[in-house]
Amino acid sequence: MSYENINIKNRQYKIVVDNIRKVYDVRSQNGQDNERFLALDNFNLKVKKGEFITVVGPSGCGKSTFLDILAGLSKPTSGKVYIDGEPITGPALDRGIILQGYALFSWRTVEKNIEFGLEIKKIPKEERKKISEKFIELVGLKGFENRYPHELSGGMKQRVAIARALAYDPEVLLMDEPFAAVDAQTRESLQEELLNIWEKTNKTIVFITHSIEEAVFLADRVVVMATSPGRIKEIINVKLPRPRINSQIRTSQEFNLSRNKIWELLHRDADKKQTEVSV
Amino acid sequence: MHEEIYEIKNYFQYYILRYSGVILILVLWQILPEVGLLDSQFIPPFSEVVVQLCELTLKSELMVHVAVSLWRVIMGLIIAAAAAIPLGLLLGGWLTRAADIVNPLFRIFSQVNPFSLMPIFILFFGIGEAAKLAVVAWVCLWPILYNTVSGVRRLDPVLIKTAMSMNTSKFEMLKKVVIPGAAPSIFLGLRIGVEMSFFMLISAEMIGATAGVGWLFHNSAMNNQIPRMYAAGVCIVILGIVLNRFLIYSQNKLFFWKGSTHVFSFAAWKKNVSGFSKIQLLFVVVVVSAVIAVGSYAAHVSKVSDINSNSSVQMKHMQMDKKEHDHMNMDKMDKNKTHDYMNMDK
Amino acid sequence: MKCKKDTFYKFLVVFIFIAVWEAASRLEIVNSLFIPPFSSVILALKDMFVSGNLAANAGISIERALTGFIISVVVGIPLGYLLGGWFSKVNLVAEPVIEIFSQINPFILFHVLILFSGIGEIPKIAVIAWTCTWPIMFNTVYGIKHMDYSVIKAGSGFGLEGWKLFWKVGMPSILPSVFVGIRISGGYSFFMLIAAEMMGASSGLGWLILNNQENYAIRNIFAAAIVIAFLGLFLDIIIQFVENKLLGHVSVS
Repeated sequence: MSYENINIKNRQYKIVVDNIRKVYDVRSQNGQDNERFLALDNFNLKVKKGEFITVVGPSGCGKSTFLDILAGLSKPTSGKVYIDGEPITGPALDRGIILQGYALFSWRTVEKNIEFGLEIKKIPKEERKKISEKFIELVGLKGFENRYPHELSGGMKQRVAIARALAYDPEVLLMDEPFAAVDAQTRESLQEELLNIWEKTNKTIVFITHSIEEAVFLADRVVVMATSPGRIKEIINVKLPRPRINSQIRTSQEFNLSRNKIWELLHRDADKKQTEVSV
Repeated sequence: MHEEIYEIKNYFQYYILRYSGVILILVLWQILPEVGLLDSQFIPPFSEVVVQLCELTLKSELMVHVAVSLWRVIMGLIIAAAAAIPLGLLLGGWLTRAADIVNPLFRIFSQVNPFSLMPIFILFFGIGEAAKLAVVAWVCLWPILYNTVSGVRRLDPVLIKTAMSMNTSKFEMLKKVVIPGAAPSIFLGLRIGVEMSFFMLISAEMIGATAGVGWLFHNSAMNNQIPRMYAAGVCIVILGIVLNRFLIYSQNKLFFWKGSTHVFSFAAWKKNVSGFSKIQLLFVVVVVSAVIAVGSYAAHVSKVSDINSNSSVQMKHMQMDKKEHDHMNMDKMDKNKTHDYMNMDK
Repeated sequence: MKCKKDTFYKFLVVFIFIAVWEAASRLEIVNSLFIPPFSSVILALKDMFVSGNLAANAGISIERALTGFIISVVVGIPLGYLLGGWFSKVNLVAEPVIEIFSQINPFILFHVLILFSGIGEIPKIAVIAWTCTWPIMFNTVYGIKHMDYSVIKAGSGFGLEGWKLFWKVGMPSILPSVFVGIRISGGYSFFMLIAAEMMGASSGLGWLILNNQENYAIRNIFAAAIVIAFLGLFLDIIIQFVENKLLGHVSVS
């Protein structure tokens, strides 16, 4: 296939992950040799515009590594990632990242935190204020513009982080377990809110989580990963209707089916290994 | 109405109890020398000391000495900070491996006794302002450097990652993320520097100076003006308390989002949600400018009198050093020389 | 391991520093009158040692420093316990007094004491003890205020109470802070020793430096400074050793 053809094909999708492989050089215990650690292998994924993808997998399977590569913070050892048909070369303002632990600038107000990306984008002051006002309202924090992070609850801080990532209008949002540090009830309401925001803004989202329930609740498709090396085991389609409301979805049969399927996938190999040993 | 009075009474009571220790000591200080239990030649009653303080203040002598001492601390601090902060940012942010490697060497340097360095500084710079500034700068350098490096290294890596994902340039990263994030730690280093250098400055002023609160103390001691000596001592203590409280207050105000950290403070801690108000900032700027103005003028005067009173600086060292074995005469000589200069003018 | 390589580099840096010192001085890049070559400093050190000059003065200095240091430990720790926060009234009254007294510069104290007792051993040792007491006291208070209460709760869950609870569970969580204070004071003891000896003495390492300054014997000044640095280091090592024995680990100060 010619180069142009590949490009055209790639442009149909928002994100194309083309056979990514990530190898780390790690010094082994005795400090002499450099061992090579295969973090990601044979990773292929095509994400449509406006899709909501979640990624689940066991600890250490490379989920965060994958997100780093998508963000441009890390380079794959081989393979390429295309956004809108163009290969990415590094971090850029067309992608936004939201990490676990909020990472708010504690010396800036809520408003100024949100405006951070806009300052980088060199947007003039007047416009910045307008944009940040819009997003403060979107995440439901109107009235808190001049508060400082240490005055906010965990859920509120996370909303500021979301607003900050949205403010400079990246087409792609990358989220690395953003709700992990929040209590369970706030977490569920934040999930609903996130879906609301997603539907309003039509972003393409890649969302990493440990929680299978969260993955199923949010996603169009769930990428189930395996570990050592990190690779895609299976991609599950979630056939739940939208909008997804907590009370309706979480008890539905379809929800449970999907959840159990993913649970099986994640634990199947583990159980297999166990039975092998005992025999 | 009854409750109000009760509250006021309680308030009053609290303060009396709080300062009862201090009051007791002052009372003893007044009575014991008067009664004779303490030799009033060696420790005059508190009232005499207060009289001396007032005299010195009225003659505006005290203010000049205070300004000179503070000026030295501020100048030395600026010199040290100008060197240590950029270096610290560099080592902490980008050259972390180098920082680890150089650490032991720097630790050795910081342990070098400033007293051992004083003779070397005096030989190098002569008995002038430079030697004292060098001592202050040396003492300030290490805490500022160490705290800057540690402040940068302790930055939340997630913060940096977030900023990097927005493709922030190195310069913007420094300006918007690293410096504000490391600022509390840097300020701590500055604070430690100020307090340690004020401490050292007093002794440096006792050895070779013609102005400053340390000189005032030493000079009074050598001229056997005991109440004046105590007055200078009290002044030094008060200065120390004011400096300490001011720095902690500033730290609290500037970094309100950090919460109180320092334990050894006796000032009341309140978690404010604000920075300095405009009036407060103005006040600080005015005071600092006044100190710098008065201090540099006074320092200049003493420097000029130093240089003009001898043909060469080196000769002066040798003459002075060889002539005295105790520091008693040195101050007298200084005084004489200053007088000579002033007389020559007339 | 990265550690070993780094340790090597650390020594290398110190070695390079000494080498640069030597070269710069010999090549007159810096005025060798002010900064003599490292080798000549070592030679001077040897001479001073051989002539007995060094040993005698060092002995006197060590005596003064250790006496002051020990006094500060003996006074500082109990004082720190007293002010740990058990008696709020005591703290209320004592704190302003301590705030004022802690600002009394030891150099001031030195001259005041000279008035009373002349230039002898007392002002020097007293000043060293004064300076060293504060870190120990403050750090003890800090340790008590930041005692790990969850550990204490666990201990009382085992049935310990009163003195036993304090001794077996409370103390170990306070001691690390106390030792931080002790280590700081150890450093201060030699620091103030030199200061005191430079201000009014006729023996000791500080006096030796002063004496050599007047005679422009720069090499001896550097040599004496090195000896002082090593003595301070040695005391620090001893304190760390004791700390290790008592606590099984060394606190970072």
